[in-house]
Amino acid sequence: MLLLRQFTGYFFLIVFSFFIPVTVSAQKTGVIRVVLKGERGEPLPQATVYLLNDSGDEARPVRLSDEDGKVDFAGLRDGSYVVLARHVGREEVKHQVMVGPASELLVELVLKNSAQQLSDLVVRGKSETREAMDQPIKAAIVNTREVGAQPVTLTELINRTAGVRIRQTGGLGSAPDVSVNGFQGRGIRYFKNGIPLDYLRDGYNISSVPVELLERVEVYKGVLPVGLGADALGGAVNLVTRTDVGSYLNLSYEVASFNTHRSSLSAVYTPEGRKWYAGADLFFNHSDNDYKAEVKVTDPETRNQYRARLRMFHNAFTSYYGDVFAGIRDTRWADELRLSLAGFSLTREQQHPALMTDPYGAITGGQSSVVPTLRYRKTFAGGRIAIDQFLVYNTVNIGRTDTLRGRYDWFGHVTYNPSQFGESRQPALSDVDFSNFTSRTNLSYKLNEAHKAELNYVITEAGRKGRDPYGPRFAGTDIDVLSVRTDYRKQVLGASLESRWLDGRLTNTLMGKHYYYASSGTDTWASRPIAESERITKKGNYWGIAEAIKFELNEHQFVRVSAEAANRLPQQDELFGDGIWVVPNFNLNPEKSTNLNAGYRWQRRKKASFEVNGFYRYTKGLILLIPIQPPYAQFTNMDNVKGYGVELDGAVHAGRFFIVNANVTYQDLRLFGITTPLDKWKNGSRLRNTPWFFTNVGVTGNFDKVFGEQDNLKIYFHYNFLKEYYLETIARRQEPGGFLGLFGSAKVNSDLLIPTQHLLNAGVSYSFRSGRATAGVEVKNLLDQDVFDYYRIQRAGRSIHLKMGISIK
Amino acid sequence: MNRHILKGWMLAAAGLALLAGCDKDKKDPDPEPEKKYKYVVQTSSNLSNAQRPGNIKVFDTFPSGNISTIDQSFQGMGMAGWRPYGNWLLKMFDSEAYEQGIERLKIGTGDIVEVESFLKADASAFGSGNFVIADETTGFYWDAATPLKIQKFNPTTLSRVSSGEIDLTAAVNERGADEAGIKYRSVGQKFLAVKKGKLFANITYAKTDGSQKGFWDDFYPDVYIAVIDIATGKYEKTTKIEGTGSIAYINDNPMYSFDTNGDLYIVCQGGDRDNLQAGALGGRSKIARIKANETDVDAAWSLNMDDIRSDGKSKFVSVFAKDGKLVVPVNNTALTGGPQGNINLTDIWEFHIADVNTKALTKITGIPAVTNPGGSYGSVEIDGKVYLRVSTADGSMNGYYELNGTAATRTFDVTEGGSIQGIYKIEVE
Repeated sequence: MLLLRQFTGYFFLIVFSFFIPVTVSAQKTGVIRVVLKGERGEPLPQATVYLLNDSGDEARPVRLSDEDGKVDFAGLRDGSYVVLARHVGREEVKHQVMVGPASELLVELVLKNSAQQLSDLVVRGKSETREAMDQPIKAAIVNTREVGAQPVTLTELINRTAGVRIRQTGGLGSAPDVSVNGFQGRGIRYFKNGIPLDYLRDGYNISSVPVELLERVEVYKGVLPVGLGADALGGAVNLVTRTDVGSYLNLSYEVASFNTHRSSLSAVYTPEGRKWYAGADLFFNHSDNDYKAEVKVTDPETRNQYRARLRMFHNAFTSYYGDVFAGIRDTRWADELRLSLAGFSLTREQQHPALMTDPYGAITGGQSSVVPTLRYRKTFAGGRIAIDQFLVYNTVNIGRTDTLRGRYDWFGHVTYNPSQFGESRQPALSDVDFSNFTSRTNLSYKLNEAHKAELNYVITEAGRKGRDPYGPRFAGTDIDVLSVRTDYRKQVLGASLESRWLDGRLTNTLMGKHYYYASSGTDTWASRPIAESERITKKGNYWGIAEAIKFELNEHQFVRVSAEAANRLPQQDELFGDGIWVVPNFNLNPEKSTNLNAGYRWQRRKKASFEVNGFYRYTKGLILLIPIQPPYAQFTNMDNVKGYGVELDGAVHAGRFFIVNANVTYQDLRLFGITTPLDKWKNGSRLRNTPWFFTNVGVTGNFDKVFGEQDNLKIYFHYNFLKEYYLETIARRQEPGGFLGLFGSAKVNSDLLIPTQHLLNAGVSYSFRSGRATAGVEVKNLLDQDVFDYYRIQRAGRSIHLKMGISIK
Repeated sequence: MNRHILKGWMLAAAGLALLAGCDKDKKDPDPEPEKKYKYVVQTSSNLSNAQRPGNIKVFDTFPSGNISTIDQSFQGMGMAGWRPYGNWLLKMFDSEAYEQGIERLKIGTGDIVEVESFLKADASAFGSGNFVIADETTGFYWDAATPLKIQKFNPTTLSRVSSGEIDLTAAVNERGADEAGIKYRSVGQKFLAVKKGKLFANITYAKTDGSQKGFWDDFYPDVYIAVIDIATGKYEKTTKIEGTGSIAYINDNPMYSFDTNGDLYIVCQGGDRDNLQAGALGGRSKIARIKANETDVDAAWSLNMDDIRSDGKSKFVSVFAKDGKLVVPVNNTALTGGPQGNINLTDIWEFHIADVNTKALTKITGIPAVTNPGGSYGSVEIDGKVYLRVSTADGSMNGYYELNGTAATRTFDVTEGGSIQGIYKIEVE
């Protein structure tokens, strides 16, 4: 019944979106038509164009010039405006114009080549980031450019975003899990430049990629743009890599506590006047992750336990990633054709099982792959039709080794024992290949100035086959269950219509998606004999629909509303497991959710900004990772969840030098629809093991020309607060009291909770010669607090990080 | 004179003191402290989570009507049964992190249960931490770190006694020492019992060495039990239960029971009947006996599930012995496994009473078919009454029934807190 009401809501939203332009368009007044050219008269596409009013504020959102170098600003009231145009590698141009009643002004600007290109690069990055922030579909934009000099990780940056919480099971390299609007796990999908990231596994994810290789990170909450062809339910994280043109070399190196070393190289060579380019992105991560944590040590004689703060001794992570690429641009038959050959290798020591209970000293895991990709982009018909095609085929090899004959204690001492084999319950020497083919085709057609249609099709085919001499066998045989191939196919077809009315003040996006998946394989783990004849096949077809509207109230404010009815298919990992600790579950069904989002933003450029967003969700069959027979876990359709969330986000410029930003997130997501008498009492209780209240406060001091004309000094503090939450379900009446339940602790006698936490980071960064050289130092967890993202898995205490960077044009 | 007067006064004073003392003894004798009892109820709040989170709540009297276990209670992991001894609440999994071992709980301030102590066992195999208590200072347990040995511990201090390790390698190697098909060997992993100064420990010969090693993977069709003299710590012999398998799945419920006369009844879950393969779905399941004054399995007596149900897909999962009667749940439908199987969470288990002399089974009336009690005891005796654990799949009946003859009546239901797992009576100071 509720779903019916939601769809009725969609209908009216859509109807509303088509009628608004008729009633409001009569208010149209002046128009400024801007044409941007280079010194030789060539049109300049992709230039950033600002329209500023008298007070220097943006009168209209920032625009990018089209393929003909044109940008129109319409619906302008009488008055004086400044057109400000910027383009990579060219000098900035300003031009003042006076708009009268019903006037139409043509402004032609020539942008000369610039000797100093770096600052322009930075400006361009900001503008694209700003563009993303202003989309009708709500996205939290993490501007990685601004913090390139800081020894900050991507996970920390994203964690400072309202409504988003990243959880990790340890130090550098530990698997990250993003929680967006209470959705988490596989409900959140990851992309690199709009392409689903599954094919790169842990070789390229938010815990391993250095921030300096990225332009920005887009965190979508709820509705996803159709261009992100995935079945994510609650949101998505899109890593947008740097798109600089020209020739440059960027190097960075970070050294930190716990023998942490991170380095990156990003280089592109584009010969003057040629249409080809070549480059490479490389990065390296290593950390011993040998921080101290409180563990329970077992006395070898009495076998009683005592608590001790000991250093992790088998927790290291090392990863290498390299991507060499070459391509051509701006030819008759391709706007861009890019061939890339990436490769990665990582090794991860495993210190303990799912919880910090037993010390492991020899279990390791690893992943590696060689990844060829192709991307082709082309526009036709004067820029009205565009195609963007991506292809990848690769095989990721994943292995796990657990063959020790003996036991480690928490002090790192080993006692050999020939009667034991393997430290965990499942000895292993696995060697498993995960093959992947992904094709993503994106077609867009600009119907007219106001409407654009988009079609997106992603097909993924994946398989698994491998061996483990110590792994399970089919019943009565010596056939390794991993030697029997498992297959997975998924297709996501999406279509959207984006419409802009009222001179761009009202934007509407209507989307539909169709999902198909099929998988087959065997249940490789079960408390029973396994037979080859038990091969299981699962498949399904599902539909989704979404709608997003944004309306600019004036140059300082806008509102946006979005809604979707989405399905999230069981993912490959959820069905097949990871071959290590997550065991298969072929009985998973898709999650279904109806999500509503609404937001309001107000801003004054270089003064202050404020944003409030809310969401409502109604989810059935939520897939959660549930511990089963230890040390294993399994994805399972568990709960029905509904509820709302509110997030407030603001920033204030305090004087000339300081910016204070803060956000707060409150989520009230609760179980519903439980009818069995045994569990009825859980109705209305909070979704277990999910953060529900957290805040961030940041203060940044920004000082130019401190020691020289082109330097910049930043001093910053970031504070994060997380309210305790509960590993297991507790009744609503047992929750903490006070306003929104924010005060005190739950009325339960239990250790099964993740405690309230305070995390403070502080740092200084300094850039020389307009960013050509940078240095930064940061102290993380300054208060040396015990920090947990998960129950009884402690993260690092205080650590010091030093980072240096060089940029050569 | 003065000396006589002084003596007189002293004698008088002594007499008065004696009289006063006698009078005091009469009026204020040192009273026997009044005994107080509490009833503790355990529930599991999430049956799909193998770490079995749940609650334990303390009651002043035996519960009645509808009760809740979530308020003023203790929440923890491993709430899927317990193995009490005397006034001790003991579990094979710790409440904080589901670690394997032996955990002792106590009733603390405000009648809230709290963890008192924990003895850690290796986590590399199920059954690690399987224990038996002989008396307040002597207990034995199996640790997966030393699979061919039995460890000794002091239940009062709940600490391992490092000098008490019993090495049974020789006993295990009495058969199959060179057999390549045996991938894993252990002793005491699934069955430890103490009777008349002897320790009985099963010997596991398993066909697998993976995550489930030792369970439903018997190499031999017979079950072997080592007999050890507790006083000397010496291995004496091995006795066997023929034609079955899968002795006593542990997980808190030891699945054996001593009758009033001291006879020991042992559950064997069996294995595939037709192909003589190991497996968890029954067939060849039986209850065997070691008589009170014997150390050998009574070869002349067994209660065979295949005689009760002919489908070969049935088994015993619990036993409670009293006065020559055995209370046993019997499945009413052939067992099925896998994610959709009926073996654990379907209402197919019906309580019966078996007469040990005639082996005749009588179905207990007034009580519904229930889910598999698993690690919990299916039947307990409190205050001289026998109570049967009833937990239906939908939870509409979720408590204990009192057994009277061959009929049972409802006593209480847990409506908040999850599936009922146990009830026990504790004397408190």
